[in-house]
Amino acid sequence: MPNSSDRWSATRSKPARVLQFRNRDGPKAVTAEPPSLASTDDKHSLLGQLRERLNISLLAAGAAGSWDWDISRNQLYLDDRMAALYGIDPAEADAGLATSIFFKAIYPGDANRIRIAVAGLLHGAELFFKTYRIITSDDQVCWVEAHGRCHFDAAGRPERFSGILVDVTERHRVEERLRIAQSAGGIGTFEHIPGHATVMVSHEFCRLLGLNSADVLPVVTINRLVKEGCPPLLEMGRQQGEDLTYSEIGVRRADNGEERWLARRGEAVRDVEGGGVRFIGVIYDVTESKRVEDALRHLNDTLEQRVEREIAERLQIEEALRQAQKMEAVGQLTGGIAHDFNNLLTVILGNVDMARSRLGNSGDERIERALANAQKGAERASALTQRLLAFSRRQPLAPKKILVSRLLQGMAELISRSLGETVILKTETTPDLWTVEADPNQLENAILNLAVNGRDAMDGSGTLTLTAANIPSGELLPSGEIASRDYLMLSVTDTGSGMSQEAVDRAFEPFFTTKEVGKGTGLGLSMVYGFVKQSGGDIHISSRLREGTTVCLYLPRAGDASADLSDQIIPGEQPSSLNETVLVVEDDEDVRQFAVECLLELGYQVIQAAGGREALSLLIERQEDVQLLVTDVVMPGLSGRQLAEAAQQLNPSLPILYVSGYPRDVILQDGRVKEGVELLSKPFTQQALAAKVRELLDQSVSVEV
Amino acid sequence: MVSDVIELSELEHDALTEVVNIGVSRAAASLRKMVGHQVLLSVPAVEIVTRQKAGVLLGERESNGLVAVEQNFSGAFAGRAMLIFPQAHSLALARAVAGDEISNEELADLEQEALAETGNVILNSCLATMANMLKRPLTMSIPTVNKGDASTLFSEPVKDDEDGPVLFLYINFSIHQRDLRGYIAMMMDMPSMHSLKDLLAEFIRQVVGDQE
Repeated sequence: MPNSSDRWSATRSKPARVLQFRNRDGPKAVTAEPPSLASTDDKHSLLGQLRERLNISLLAAGAAGSWDWDISRNQLYLDDRMAALYGIDPAEADAGLATSIFFKAIYPGDANRIRIAVAGLLHGAELFFKTYRIITSDDQVCWVEAHGRCHFDAAGRPERFSGILVDVTERHRVEERLRIAQSAGGIGTFEHIPGHATVMVSHEFCRLLGLNSADVLPVVTINRLVKEGCPPLLEMGRQQGEDLTYSEIGVRRADNGEERWLARRGEAVRDVEGGGVRFIGVIYDVTESKRVEDALRHLNDTLEQRVEREIAERLQIEEALRQAQKMEAVGQLTGGIAHDFNNLLTVILGNVDMARSRLGNSGDERIERALANAQKGAERASALTQRLLAFSRRQPLAPKKILVSRLLQGMAELISRSLGETVILKTETTPDLWTVEADPNQLENAILNLAVNGRDAMDGSGTLTLTAANIPSGELLPSGEIASRDYLMLSVTDTGSGMSQEAVDRAFEPFFTTKEVGKGTGLGLSMVYGFVKQSGGDIHISSRLREGTTVCLYLPRAGDASADLSDQIIPGEQPSSLNETVLVVEDDEDVRQFAVECLLELGYQVIQAAGGREALSLLIERQEDVQLLVTDVVMPGLSGRQLAEAAQQLNPSLPILYVSGYPRDVILQDGRVKEGVELLSKPFTQQALAAKVRELLDQSVSVEV
Repeated sequence: MVSDVIELSELEHDALTEVVNIGVSRAAASLRKMVGHQVLLSVPAVEIVTRQKAGVLLGERESNGLVAVEQNFSGAFAGRAMLIFPQAHSLALARAVAGDEISNEELADLEQEALAETGNVILNSCLATMANMLKRPLTMSIPTVNKGDASTLFSEPVKDDEDGPVLFLYINFSIHQRDLRGYIAMMMDMPSMHSLKDLLAEFIRQVVGDQE
């Protein structure tokens, strides 16, 4: 690759001057003392000697030939070697040729370029430095470098244009190979003498850094592209003894600011004048492999952490699953027990009830007291089974849209009475609370339950805080999950003794209690849990020992904003004594007997069946007579619901009353009672049955009218 | 970019280089007369770029302060010519022109003048050569010396605010054993560039046409 210093060498060596010794009327020799010559022979022999000497020096300089173009005479002289290269008789070349011969051997593709350059010389340019191809006499193409110079006469007019040709074919080939190696391999080269402010670079070097192509660049131009914290690409003060070590250097490209990684390798070459070194090296882009390597290292470094995190996550999920499965199993078990208990309690309660009303005022006071105690005990047992059903999420709910702030207001007095005088009650609600859809009675129960739990934990004194707030979807819940929808959060916080983590984990299990024996049933939180889950919400406990506990209920936001808080209207109970015919269907003999007896006593006509199929044939048989169907839900064979559907096909206006302690999804839809269906929960009293039956019969009459 | 506006063929580019080469040679001869020493100016490398690109090119090659001798010209071409070299070389150039006889103190006083004169000689030679070849008159303003960096030197527009083309030349100076490097930049307007292109076409027609 030619650089500027090469261009100088041609003019400094000034070979053309020697050519001026030709035996012609050209310019005088420039040497200081031209030898004085005695004879023509002597002259010729001296000339021969000088030519010989010239040839040797030209050969030593690597010249393939030399020329001398006499501008004023329009003659071209070539030396022997150049004549041979051009395939011209040396004698003719020595005698002078037409100047157009200069272009004769030049490769056609290069000829015009050289013509222009020579024209520049003839018009006053001083230096001629060109690389081009010539076709030699033996038809070989070879690359030459022409170093020429124009000489001017005293008036400054161009007089002679002379120079030498150097065969650079081999060098050109090597340079081409190097150039292709660099561009194909994306490798840039540099050559730097430590301490010098500039560095020789290749075009590929410039390209890798986003710089404009140049042969020489200041070291600072290159180093200012290096990213902070990386070693410089070229060290100015590098020690002479050191080698160029491999390094990876981050750079910011000059043209577009893109960040790349370059690798630098090289060697120290000890051939500089004065025994110094040159650093010759290469740079190439390693951004991609560096990126892959970094990613791999990062993966490797964090492998342990990631495994630990994964394991911890999995353990947590397994624990949650185990807990959920346990609750589900307990729920099924308690639900099953509650169902059977309800049947038994219905029998006990009903019969005690009937015995008491039969006894009237006339009976033995001790019998009356015993019956009253039995009834009280059975009622308590009934309340217990209701709670169990609540926990197992099988209680029928009647959800309504609720404004929680209004609900809390309405409960305030009840709660503060429950808390006692030494516990302070605070209520914190934000304005614009969303409405929720839930069973208001059950929600009140839940809040009261939590308040009483808080009171007990505070041992009589402290502060109980009720809070309600909106939790928009996307917010982080205390459980660590992200809220998947809008919730209203209702929390009850006490400043009591708190719970251990173990107690928190088990708090929702039925019959788990931290209270003294006899003080709690262990069903309060279970009920709340069941209610919230059945309402599509969630519940979370956070607690610290000796600091207090917060229980948060998350209830889904109601779809519609309008809330209906109208109080439930309880129809007045007026036992009637009419003679409608009621069909009672119940597989449990004792329960059926009780119901039948109740209805008979109330004055109704009663027919009974122990199962669905029997009931259906009775209905078909006495269709006209039956005005009300009272049926159990869960029965072997035809279920209560199937019976009801068949009955309504026979008589669409036939009112139906389900009696069940265990409705499950046979009559529940999404945990709610289906519209148009009446349900009487077991155990039931005579009064409750009487009221429901009358209500249904009266309704059906009004519909018919 | 400029290449969209001024499309020079390879031969035109060669021709431009030679025309500038003639100018630079004349400048070297004038300097030789002036300083009485051997003066060589290298064969120039020529590029036509935008002013912005010229700033980038110069900024990459010269990261330190620069000195520019500036002259406005009008006539066959109109624009501004600048001889630019590193500030660090400024005193050495002044010394080469002023000679070794005078003291450093005197030289410091003469520096500006010496630089202006050197710039005048070089720029005049280059521009006059071009004008001669076009056979059209050219007038030049008094040279001024400015200091700055690559970005500031090209920031002031020649006229209006167009990002006009810059004829950007690299040359090396060798004056009496001192190696100095420098740049010649000629900021021209579009009509001048077209005149130049016509000149080059004529030059090529003569040279290539004559000898074929």
